[in-house]
Amino acid sequence: MDSFNAITVAIFLPFIFAGLIPVMEKLLKQRVGWFAAATALASFILIGLAAPEVLGEGHIVQGSISWIPSAGVNFAIYADGLAMLIGFIASGIGVLIMSYSNGYMSQKEDLKRYYQYLLLFMGSMIGMVFSANTIQLFIFWELTSITSFMLIGYWRHKPESIYGATKSLLITAAGGLAMLAGFLLLRTITGSFDLAAILSDPQVINAVKEHELFLITLILILIGAAAKSAQGPFYIWLPNAMEAPTPVSAFLHSATMVKAGIYLVARIHPIFSGTDAWFILVSGIGILTMLVAGFLAFRQTDIKGILAYSTISQLAYMMTMYGYTTHHEPGIGVAAATFHLLNHATFKACLFLVAGIVAHEAATRDIRKLGGLRREMPITFIVASIAALSMAGVPPLNGFLSKEMFYESSLEMGALLGGGFTFLIPACAVLGGVFTFAYSIKLIDGIFLGERSKEHLPEHIHEPPLTMLIPPAFLALLVIVFGLVPSLPVHTIIEPTVSGILLETAHLHVKLWHGFTTSLMMTIVTFILGILIYFRYDRIAALQDNFNARFPWISVNYYYDDAVDSAKGRAFKFSTITQPGNIKYYMTAMLLLMITVVAIPVITLATNIVPSTLNFDIAPYEAILLLLLIVAALASAVLPKYLPSIIALSALGYGVSLLFIYLKAPDLALTQVLVETLSTIIFLLAITKIPQKYREKIPKSVLFRDLAISLAVAASVFVVLLNATQGIVAPFESLSHYFIENSLPLAGGHNIVNVIIVDFRGYDTLGEISVLCLAALGVYNLIHSRGEEQ
Amino acid sequence: MNNTLLTITISLLFGIGTFLMLRRDIIKVIIGLSVLSHAVNLLIVSTGIFDGTKVPIITGSGHEGEASGIIFNDNLADGVLAPVVSASTHVDFVDPLVQALVLTAIVISLATTAFILILAYRIYEEYGTTDIRELRRLWG
Repeated sequence: MDSFNAITVAIFLPFIFAGLIPVMEKLLKQRVGWFAAATALASFILIGLAAPEVLGEGHIVQGSISWIPSAGVNFAIYADGLAMLIGFIASGIGVLIMSYSNGYMSQKEDLKRYYQYLLLFMGSMIGMVFSANTIQLFIFWELTSITSFMLIGYWRHKPESIYGATKSLLITAAGGLAMLAGFLLLRTITGSFDLAAILSDPQVINAVKEHELFLITLILILIGAAAKSAQGPFYIWLPNAMEAPTPVSAFLHSATMVKAGIYLVARIHPIFSGTDAWFILVSGIGILTMLVAGFLAFRQTDIKGILAYSTISQLAYMMTMYGYTTHHEPGIGVAAATFHLLNHATFKACLFLVAGIVAHEAATRDIRKLGGLRREMPITFIVASIAALSMAGVPPLNGFLSKEMFYESSLEMGALLGGGFTFLIPACAVLGGVFTFAYSIKLIDGIFLGERSKEHLPEHIHEPPLTMLIPPAFLALLVIVFGLVPSLPVHTIIEPTVSGILLETAHLHVKLWHGFTTSLMMTIVTFILGILIYFRYDRIAALQDNFNARFPWISVNYYYDDAVDSAKGRAFKFSTITQPGNIKYYMTAMLLLMITVVAIPVITLATNIVPSTLNFDIAPYEAILLLLLIVAALASAVLPKYLPSIIALSALGYGVSLLFIYLKAPDLALTQVLVETLSTIIFLLAITKIPQKYREKIPKSVLFRDLAISLAVAASVFVVLLNATQGIVAPFESLSHYFIENSLPLAGGHNIVNVIIVDFRGYDTLGEISVLCLAALGVYNLIHSRGEEQ
Repeated sequence: MNNTLLTITISLLFGIGTFLMLRRDIIKVIIGLSVLSHAVNLLIVSTGIFDGTKVPIITGSGHEGEASGIIFNDNLADGVLAPVVSASTHVDFVDPLVQALVLTAIVISLATTAFILILAYRIYEEYGTTDIRELRRLWG
């Protein structure tokens, strides 16, 4: 299989297999999770098939399948190192998560739905990173938002789940729309939806940078990225997303989906970087988010809450590093950011899985109630410590290496900017590191060290089953391996990725020991300050709580809730006005609409309301027929009893079929006779079951009002019809000429109406048949539902 | 142009249908819906006389040419076996498209009438009344 096909299959395999989950669930029962894990493994291997070409030889695999060529939209694949990196993370962590879920999810849960969503998400994520086309990227992007929404709201009975799910969807999908607008502008500038074409042409990239729409395009795309990766004011959805089952949080909300925004920033890096705007927007948002989220993590009491804020802060590291740019050196922090992206996926997913284990075994995630679990869960304790220490940046783990690289690039960026920035930027980086260090220690201390609480925790706590222990242990192993032998990940995947982002071959040298550099000094300062702050951890948290209680408007959530609540209130008011429930209001509204949009324009266009030439030339039998129609219709309205009224209605129907003959429509006449017969039978059947208990007595005032409305309708139809058939509006070229001319030559039918119905406009007839089927099903179900109740 | 008396009839059907739709008895409303759909069908068909007055059915095999406007070029040497219409042909049929549309509409209105009648029947079974205002009161 060549690389293009392998990747295409890797994208669509999860979608197809998600469809098979219900069948597999019947076969495998509660072990269906292993099938999902196997699917993820298959995708991982398929992506791996492309690895020799992309990572080994440094080629960029491209290919496309025609989709909407007229709009310049194709299903196109662009597989460079960056796409491969995130593709591997998504499918690889997918394998671990779905295996872990076999132990985590209770067998009573709706496993079908759970694994379907997980697989759909994984397919969308892989599809997104390999997209060469911005429209395709957008579609997969929104698919990840939707599957994330489904998974956060997985426990549908919990109001918090619904709140979190709605919040995440509103923010990420709205961000996605901004991103789409950005892509459309990018197309206006470059004339292409094709990212590969833009990236491969330096002239196009220069044109983008000099274009007057450059800034607004960049801002729109970055809004999408920030909303997805919970950066800046958009961070508020991620803490609430923690209502999802913990494996979902580990997968979507730490390792993969939230990286989509980072991926997007890296993907458009070659197009937009090297400008002041890029540094100010990307690094600016990054540094602010890093400090604020890192600081706010202190007051979280839920261990998943701490992890959520730490994820926001860690994502902000990557944002900041990707944002480091100058005109001469576009990608100062790219290598560091990319390495941190990989490292963060390993240690953060591991920590989330540990959080899942703790919640599963100790039945609480409240850090105030937990403590002293190191004796009962020694292996979990070791695994968690490795991951948390890596996050804190302690050698020899992988988090230490990328943290050092972060400090180095911050120093370099500061030095290049000069002035106050020489100290400011590295200082911000160190402060971010200090917060990270403090909450990382808090996690270990709060869960595993200290005194074990007797009243809050169950009596016996033990290690989880192996299905739940192996995935985080494997990730912890990766943390150590990447830390001790950094050249392994760096040469195999990080270098190709950095080359893909910088569009030139990059050579990196990452070593565990690199002498007493300034960055090592910064690390040591970080540890000292971190320990000092940790002694005041609880006091800082209490201070934050007080502050927040006194000034609620400081929180972005305050504005979000306010906006959503007032939108709900207004929608409710709007719908009580527009949907009062009484049929008379709807009727009146529709009639008024008809009068304003049809009658008034026609009357204004016509010179005379009633044209001067009227045609009263009529054969006597036709006149009698028309009179009969009027009498029948009047009778159906006036006769109070159902039966005579229905007989009058059917007389009207048969009269109409006669009139169709007069109007030169034999097919309609035939159809009308058949339909009228059937509908009379149905009417009669219905009224034999509905005795006429209620008889409306129309009060005079209502009678006059209704008569006035009816007469107004009749009069406006009269005027419109008289004028319409006189040709007051310039006639359009009628479609019918085509049908008349081609009925016999193309379809071989003499009856033009029939040919239109079964041939030229066959889809209309298909629709008509569907309506009949649906009506029949509806009737059947209505009658059937009665049977069940009795 | 249309016959004015036909136009008056269609307008009256619209008026009567509207009056019935405004009633409180569900069955009467459904009858009104039927009257109104007759009126709409007639209105559309009556606007279809755009070129001529002939029934939209091509008569004869077309060999006569002038009868239908269709000329058969059964010339095996040219490989043409299909009837063709010359560009200059003026065919004075009534508009077949509106008839096709209305044919679809007639069948669909049967389906909706049947459905809505059964709905009314079930409503009567559940609530014991066909008075819309009483039903609203019962629903709260």
